[in-house]
Amino acid sequence: MSLTKEQKLTLFTNLVRADLYDKMMYRRMMQGKLIGFYHPIEGGVAPGVGACTFLNKDDNLNPHHRGHGMAHMISKGIDVRTFLAEHTGKETGCCKGRSAFHFSYPDHKVYQMSGFIGHNFAPCVGWGYAAKRRAQGQVVMNCSGDGSYGQGRAHEAMLMAQNWKLPIIFFCENNGMSIFSTAKEMHPTENISSLAQGFGMPAVVVDGQDVFAVAEVALAAIADARKGKGPVFIECKTERFTEHDIGTPDLAGWEDRTPAQHEDMRKREPVNLATERVLADKTLTQARIDAIREAALKEIEEVEAFADASEIARPSEEELLANVFAP
Amino acid sequence: MRTITLIGAIKEALAEEMRRDEDVFLVGQDVRGGIFPHTKGLIEEFGEERILDTPISESGMYGTAMGAAQEGMRPIVDFMFGGFSYVTFSECSVSTGQYHFLHGSQRSLPVVMTAGVGTGQRLANDHAMSIHGTFAHHPGIKVAMPSTPYDAKGLFKAAIRDNNPVMIPWHMGIMMLKGEVPEEDYMVPLGVADVKRQGSDVTVLANSVQLQNALKVADKLDGEISVEIIDPRSFVPFDMETLLTSLEKTNRLVVVDEDWESGGFASTISARVMEQGFDLLDAPVTRVCMPNMPVPGGYMEEYVAPNPDKIEAAIRNVCA
Repeated sequence: MSLTKEQKLTLFTNLVRADLYDKMMYRRMMQGKLIGFYHPIEGGVAPGVGACTFLNKDDNLNPHHRGHGMAHMISKGIDVRTFLAEHTGKETGCCKGRSAFHFSYPDHKVYQMSGFIGHNFAPCVGWGYAAKRRAQGQVVMNCSGDGSYGQGRAHEAMLMAQNWKLPIIFFCENNGMSIFSTAKEMHPTENISSLAQGFGMPAVVVDGQDVFAVAEVALAAIADARKGKGPVFIECKTERFTEHDIGTPDLAGWEDRTPAQHEDMRKREPVNLATERVLADKTLTQARIDAIREAALKEIEEVEAFADASEIARPSEEELLANVFAP
Repeated sequence: MRTITLIGAIKEALAEEMRRDEDVFLVGQDVRGGIFPHTKGLIEEFGEERILDTPISESGMYGTAMGAAQEGMRPIVDFMFGGFSYVTFSECSVSTGQYHFLHGSQRSLPVVMTAGVGTGQRLANDHAMSIHGTFAHHPGIKVAMPSTPYDAKGLFKAAIRDNNPVMIPWHMGIMMLKGEVPEEDYMVPLGVADVKRQGSDVTVLANSVQLQNALKVADKLDGEISVEIIDPRSFVPFDMETLLTSLEKTNRLVVVDEDWESGGFASTISARVMEQGFDLLDAPVTRVCMPNMPVPGGYMEEYVAPNPDKIEAAIRNVCA
C-alpha cells in the first residue's frame, strides 16, 4: 500500500510533533517541572506515529509507555494539554491530578496506562471481544515493547485473540532494551514476532526508524483487522537513544553503552530519515518543514502554558475517599 | 414458597440478569459444560457469544472481562476456585480496584467476579482457601458472600447491577443448602448486614458456611445463652451500624471467619469495634479463624477450619 502525499504530510507532521513533545518532557524533567519520572522516546518515535496516525477515534489504543504515550496519543488526535497537567499534579489533569503518569482518555478508547509492564495484554482481549461483538469495524492497536513480551499475559492474549479471531494488532516496538537488559539476552530468537508463528498469526517485521514504512504496514493491518481477518503481529525494529528513564545509568547488562554504539544507532535518527525522504521525493520543501516545526513548538508552548497556569490538585481526604467507588 | 439450592439460586440470578441485559456475559473455564452447576445449561439459552470458555489463561480470561467492562459491558468472570483468582491478581485486584479512583472517576469498572471457596472438600490450600479478606484488603472492590439461597440470588443480582467491581465468592460447603427463594426479581443491597437470629447475651458475626454453623450452635445453646447472629453479607462496604446496634444490647462479640487469623476480615472488624465501640464491650472481642498455616488436605482439614465446637467454645469463653 503506497502512501498519498497527504498521508505523508500528516505522518511527517506527527513525527516532528512527537519528537518535540519528547524533548519538552525531557527538559521539564531536568528542570524539576514534571512529577515522578520520564522515559524518553528519543530514537524510537516513529513506530507510535506510524501505528496511530490513521486510527479512528473509536479504535482502541494502548500506547507504549516510552514517551509516556505522547507520540501515540497526539498521533491519534488526542489533545494532551490535560496529560501534561496530570503529569504536573494539576487539578485540570485528565485524571484530576490523582494518577501521576497513569493517564486515561476513555472517550478516545485509551483506557489506562498501567504501572505494570505488559498489563495491556489482558484487557486488550476484552477490547477485542467488545469490538467483535459490536461488529462496527473497530480495531485494537495494542502497542508495547520487546520486554513486555516476556509476560505470560502477552502469550495468553495472542492465544485468545487468535482463537476468537479478534481485531487486535500486536504492535511490538522492539528497541532491544528493557532498562539495562538486552533483547539479545532476554529473548531466544532474533525476532520477537517469531512468537506469532506458534499461534498461527500472521506477522511482519518492519524498519521502525522509517515512519512511512511503519505506516504502510500498519494501514494494511488495520484494514485487514477491520474486515474481520483476526489478529496480526507487527514488529518494529527501533532504537532507544537515551537511558531507560532520566536518572538511571545508560547500561547494557552492567556496563555502559559505548560511544561507538551511540554513534552507530544515531546514524538512523527517525526525524532526519523522514526529512531526507520528504525533501527527496518533493513531498515538502524546507520552508514547509520549518513551518511544521514552528507550529509544533507553538502547540507545545500552549500545552505547557495550560499546565503551568493550572492549580495544584489538593482535594480533601474526604473528597478522595468519596471517589473510591463509582455511584 | 418454593425451596431451591444456593447454587441453583446463583444460576437463577445469572440467567435472569443475562435475559434482562444483553451486555451481561459470562467468561470462565469450562463454564459451558458447567464445571459447577450454576453455569450448567446457560450455553443452551445464551449461546457461545455470551458464555465464553477460555484456555487456562487466567489473565487473558479476566482481561476479557476487564476490557469489556471498560467498553461499557457488564461481564461476570468465574474463576472456578477462588485461589485461581490469584493467578491474575495484579489485574483483578490492583488494576481493577484502582481503575475508577486513579483515573479521575472518569469511568467505572462493572466487573463481577465469582468462584467457589472454602474447606469441606479436603482439597487443600489452593483449592480450599478463602479470598474475601484478601480482596477486602485492597481498596476499590466491593466484596460480598452469601450464606443462604435467598441472599445468593439477591446479592448476585445487586452485584451485576452495581457500577463497581464486585468479588462475590460462594462457599462450596453450602453449595447444596436449600432455602426459600422468591421466583420474582429482587436484590439484596451490598453493604446491608442481616440479623439472622435475635439474641441478647452475645453477638456472633459470621458469614457463609460459618453462619450456618453459628445458627446450629445458637440452637444448641438456646435457654442457656441467648445468641444474636449477624450475617455481614458484604465485607466491602461493611454495615458497621448494624453491628454496633447489636453490641449495645449484647456487649459481647465473637467474630467467626473462615480465613487466616492474620490480617483478615475478622482482625479488621475487631479493630474497628475497639475504635468505634469500645465502651459497649464487657469482654474482649474473640475471633474464631484459621491458624496461620496452609490449609492441609485430607483428614487434617478439620484442624484448621472453624466448626461448631470451636464456635461454641468461643461463645462460652466470651460469656464466662
